[in-house]
Amino acid sequence: MSLKSFIKSVRNSKTIAAERAAIRKESAKIRTAFRDVHLDNASRRTNISKLLYLYILGEPTYFGQVECLKLLASPKFVDKRLGYLATMLLLDENQEVLTLLTNSLDNDMKSSNQYIAGLALVTLGNVASPELARDLYANVDALLGSPHGYLRKKAAIVAAKLVNKDPDLSEIFLPRVAPLLNEKSHGVVLGALALMRAIYNNDESSRETLKIQIPRLLAHLRILIATGHSPEYDVRGVPDPFLFVSLLSTLRLLLANDENNTNLEPLNDLLTQVCSRVESAKGSGYSVLYETVQTIFTINSDSSLKVLGINILSKFLTQKDNNTRYVALNTLLNVINYEPLAVQRHRTTIVGCLQDGDVSIRRRALELTFAIMNQQNVRVLTKELLAFLQNSDDELKEYITTQLCIACNKYRPDVRWHFETLISLLKLAGNHFSRDIVSNVLALIMQNTDLELTKFLVEELISSSQAHFNEFALALVTTWCIGEYADLVIGEKVTPDSLVNLIETFLNITFEQADAIQMKTYALTAILKLSARVSSPQCIERLRKLLLSFQSDYNLEIQTRAIEYAEIFGQPASIRKALLERMPAPPVKLHEGIPLVNRSTTKSAKSSSSQPATTGDLLLDLLGDDETPKEREAAPAPAKPQESTLDLLSDIFGSSASQKPPQQPPQETVIPAFADEHLSFEIVVKEIGNGSASLEGRVHNLGNSVVSEISVLCAVTKQQKLQLSPIGSNTLAPGATSSLGIRVTGQPGAKVKVRVKLEYNAGSKVSRQFDSALPMTM
Amino acid sequence: MLESARDLRISKWYTSVPDKQKKQTILKVHRLISSRDHQKQSNFVNFENQKLVYRRYNGLFFVMAVDVQDNELSYLEMVHLTVEVLDSYFNNVCELDIIFNFYKVYQVLDEMFLSGEFQETSKQVVLDRLHYLDNLE
Repeated sequence: MSLKSFIKSVRNSKTIAAERAAIRKESAKIRTAFRDVHLDNASRRTNISKLLYLYILGEPTYFGQVECLKLLASPKFVDKRLGYLATMLLLDENQEVLTLLTNSLDNDMKSSNQYIAGLALVTLGNVASPELARDLYANVDALLGSPHGYLRKKAAIVAAKLVNKDPDLSEIFLPRVAPLLNEKSHGVVLGALALMRAIYNNDESSRETLKIQIPRLLAHLRILIATGHSPEYDVRGVPDPFLFVSLLSTLRLLLANDENNTNLEPLNDLLTQVCSRVESAKGSGYSVLYETVQTIFTINSDSSLKVLGINILSKFLTQKDNNTRYVALNTLLNVINYEPLAVQRHRTTIVGCLQDGDVSIRRRALELTFAIMNQQNVRVLTKELLAFLQNSDDELKEYITTQLCIACNKYRPDVRWHFETLISLLKLAGNHFSRDIVSNVLALIMQNTDLELTKFLVEELISSSQAHFNEFALALVTTWCIGEYADLVIGEKVTPDSLVNLIETFLNITFEQADAIQMKTYALTAILKLSARVSSPQCIERLRKLLLSFQSDYNLEIQTRAIEYAEIFGQPASIRKALLERMPAPPVKLHEGIPLVNRSTTKSAKSSSSQPATTGDLLLDLLGDDETPKEREAAPAPAKPQESTLDLLSDIFGSSASQKPPQQPPQETVIPAFADEHLSFEIVVKEIGNGSASLEGRVHNLGNSVVSEISVLCAVTKQQKLQLSPIGSNTLAPGATSSLGIRVTGQPGAKVKVRVKLEYNAGSKVSRQFDSALPMTM
Repeated sequence: MLESARDLRISKWYTSVPDKQKKQTILKVHRLISSRDHQKQSNFVNFENQKLVYRRYNGLFFVMAVDVQDNELSYLEMVHLTVEVLDSYFNNVCELDIIFNFYKVYQVLDEMFLSGEFQETSKQVVLDRLHYLDNLE
């Protein structure tokens, strides 16, 4: 049966069972054929091509591996072609059969037929293991000098692959870079660039030598810019955008953090020239411009070029094509810290993207909107965001409420506006508030000393609650304010009874269990406090009954609390009044914004430092939400009421007031610097100021296996000095953490940026490098 | 690199991945891509530690997994160039060509990509080479 009829028989099967039967039958036939010692290469080809079809179907194919090697050992090109093709697909670097391949590859790479040598090269490029790399590098090196461009371009990429497999080979291939770069063929230059990048990444000692080649790269770039039209390489009006992109990304790699390189000036000129073509760009031109903008922000380019880059991105934002808008927003998020004002100018465009049909674009636009917020535009942007909140996806709402509360704390023009915004937020998205932010809001209300304003706020809360009674956070805040400030608002419009009614309404709504418990705790306190702020005996009686009803609550904590409160309730009015005075205001915790979209931490040096810093505290609070109630339930019952009402009442704050006594020195700041599937690395700021920073690097094993040979190397800018203590333990069990001390000294007020090289062994050796900038100066 | 429709047509891996994980990855990619709104959403999506760049041609999705810091727009152009080469090579390529001549598709890919790097950017160079190699057989 031919391959064609086999494919047909599988495709024509009416049921899955029939399909399985056809596959099983053919698979058995292939096995039988392979057992035949006299199998000729023509039938071997047919069987191997069927085997490849099995591979595509996801069927086992291991039994054919040796046959592939037999086929490629045949002298005929047609046999070799299929044999190598099958080898690439069915074998990978981890298979032992691979050692049988070394000889054939060696012979074929020496073949005088360039196409056979090409096949062997491509195969080596796809399956190379460190052993193969060491055994065959000389063949690749020889082919780099081949008279055929076809082989040189392939050999260059394979050389890059071998260097990645065994960094020691960098030395061998380094002298080959220059002659390859002198060629005109785009394929060869692309290969040379790949080789340069591989050597640069694997061998630090070669870096300076590679940098000598920069003028050649610039020359290629200049030619590309000058080329109007090249029939051979044109992709929709742009001469070889792929070579453009490869040149720029290689230059970026070579020049990142090299602020004094003499090639920067000519590069800046060339980048400006590319930018000036923005008007005529179309299709593939955007990929070149995009790469150009990324280069501008990675190398040390001048401010005017950066502004130009941001203007290009904003042009991207007005494009119809989603892809262009998507990358523009992503990049703007990474570069906003360099030229915040230039990004501000495109506010309208960015806000416009909030209405985009693509949710990933909306997310990025949202994050960017928060990133450009400042004192001047907070009013306008908040208005836009509130409008967006009404129609936004539920999953984004908590992010919006959190970020907007944080931004309002930072940038509010006045308190009244701030309160109005909070009320709108609570009305629109009261079910999407994190607990942390709720306590933040309460702390804010207590901080306010203008009682007229508080009165206005509480009245507004009460009337909003009547229309939007099932917004959880609104219910909580209102209940709490009723307890605390009832005396301010009780008058003609608001009667004591209407307040009790409102509390009853809240209690009758079915919230999720944890929320319901929290609601009850708030209500209990409000009931008790209210009893000291109203005078009508009927109303007090209602409150007493309501309180009694909690004494049989199924939740132990509520029950205990109700009984304790009933004790206070029974005290004479004078004592009660004194006990139930207004809470003193706790400090408002300040939070930093958090990124919504996970961006890579392995990005180039400067883009990682532009990410907003996150305080460890906040992350805990936002992510570990569900732990708060558990902790609270586990805590011992509240102190006896007579001892200290303050303690008892402030308990409902949970995360903000009770656990941390006010006026503590600032918390340690934890900066997550890096994480991959094995390890995470955090920088903990212990002390900073007066020109020195005392930091701790924490390495944590995230995976399920032991990670050994951990080594951490750090570097700081030239102007600063660094002291490093050795890591506590260089082997970490799953879940374990180890730390080392980092001390940086330098000019007071200078920024602190640490470059970390983290090496470890988790099955195989891994080396990572990343930069982390502290959010404060020393 | 992956290509998929309702069934997987072609997959090519440039890193060494155990078979079991290949299957899972293919499944995950398939679910992710087919759940996206192709009218409104971009052709890029984050996937595990990488991102996918994909484009739909009739019923067929051409999907590439690339590093997060790679230039998405450029890879999207590569996908398109690959499809153009296939189209010229098969003379108006359709899904059936790819099903029955899957090994030829691999040969095309091997002339355009090598160990995950783009090796030739000229459509004509690739096509000339392919025709020449076919005549050698």
